Amino acid sequence: MTSGATTTQTIGFEIARYLPGEDRAPTLRHYDVPYRPEWVVLDALNYLKDEVDGTLSFRWSCRMGVCGSCGAMVNGVPRLMCAAFLRDYLPGPIRVEPLANFPIERDLVIVLDDFMQKLRAVKPWIIPGDRPPPADAEYRQTPAQLADFKQYSMCINCLLCYSACPVYQHEEEFLGPAVLALAQRYDHDSRDRGNSQRHELTWSDEGIWDCTFVGECSAVCPKHVDPAGAIQQAKVESTMDWYRSVLWPFGRR
Amino acid sequence: MRRSPEPVFWSLFSAGGVVLALIAPALILATGFLVPAERVEFDRLSAILTQPLARIAVVGLAFLTFVHAAHRLRHTLVDVGLRAYGGPIATVSYLAALALTAWAALVAFG
Amino acid sequence: MASPYPRRRSRRWFIERWAYQRFVLRELSGVVLAAYMVLLLLLVSSVHAGGQAFADHVTTLRSPLMIAVHVILVLFALLHTVTWFQAVPKGLPLRRGEEKVPPALMIGANYVAMAGATVIIVAALVA
Repeated sequence: MTSGATTTQTIGFEIARYLPGEDRAPTLRHYDVPYRPEWVVLDALNYLKDEVDGTLSFRWSCRMGVCGSCGAMVNGVPRLMCAAFLRDYLPGPIRVEPLANFPIERDLVIVLDDFMQKLRAVKPWIIPGDRPPPADAEYRQTPAQLADFKQYSMCINCLLCYSACPVYQHEEEFLGPAVLALAQRYDHDSRDRGNSQRHELTWSDEGIWDCTFVGECSAVCPKHVDPAGAIQQAKVESTMDWYRSVLWPFGRR
Repeated sequence: MRRSPEPVFWSLFSAGGVVLALIAPALILATGFLVPAERVEFDRLSAILTQPLARIAVVGLAFLTFVHAAHRLRHTLVDVGLRAYGGPIATVSYLAALALTAWAALVAFG
Repeated sequence: MASPYPRRRSRRWFIERWAYQRFVLRELSGVVLAAYMVLLLLLVSSVHAGGQAFADHVTTLRSPLMIAVHVILVLFALLHTVTWFQAVPKGLPLRRGEEKVPPALMIGANYVAMAGATVIIVAALVA
């Protein structure tokens, strides 16, 4: 243990509190938490909830970066609280606020409705089309076909990318990074035949064309999905399709 | 399916982006530093710029550059807070790019 | 039932984080290059107007102000080049079978092409 860590007995937290019906706006409240180098922000919040204030509200489940439910703004940057170690924020204080760009239900709990509705809209499931299923009822994929979409399938819907996206902040209609990356995931799946159903939405002005490639969605993504790259690729594909349909108007492919 | 017109603008923007990324630093080096240092002779420059292909290349480069800039300016203005005026901003930006390209054609073939 | 606190928007979002400031600078680089294009066309115009007009233009270009302007122009042009090449493997990722072609390799190939273009341009102009 470094000397800096041993001399720090506690670490300060500034946590956004909001109780609907009581508070007019979220306010930051100060807490002191025992410092443990192996603790993450989520551990500190659970300590506070157990030992100091049981009304502190936040979502969490797996504690290991898989469930995607503990996203929050940590010192102004969207992070999974289970992956944000206290030792990286010395000497503190650590400011914890609900994910930006979403309405606040209470304390650190945000309203997910907008995202859920957009997610459903792009049909994030395999659409088999009218092909008969394989005779042995098993779709085979080569490793290369899997590699074509695997990266996008790693998304855990944690919404950090939406919090990092200034376009989504100002254009509520924008489908947003994760939804567009997931649409790309199914577009590129060799088993799927639903492209044309999705493109009506994803290739529209509220889809990929609202994105100006700020790139912060990819910078904050804990699963290296790279939504910004997915959207850029979709722009290339949509553009090639546009020129194909103009230069070859007699039926597509 | 309601098609967005963005592929047209985006592809021109991208073409301009590629060309500028490859040659803009060299061009600025040449015309901003080598020309004032008198390392570029008038006769040579004149011989190049009066070639028909060079005239066309100047107009093409100007077109791609101005459309590229118009596209970026349009989206940046929208992003930094003028979203409500997105339509008029796009129209004015691209029309300005076309007007500047017309001027470039006058210069190149002058 | 009390309603949630509405989502907040910042009018100053683009100066609130370095990543966003970098984005705006990147986008402005395109606009700056259009300004350079105007200067370039003025140079072309002076060449077509004859030797005396060109000589006058060269005198203008030699002023400290114009040198400073071109220093700024070159910095923005390089910002454009660097950020553009970084974006290439994002938009056009290549794969050989399962293996992704390393982005650094694609970016490097772009710099090689740029170096080649630079040599050709300078060689064509400098006697």
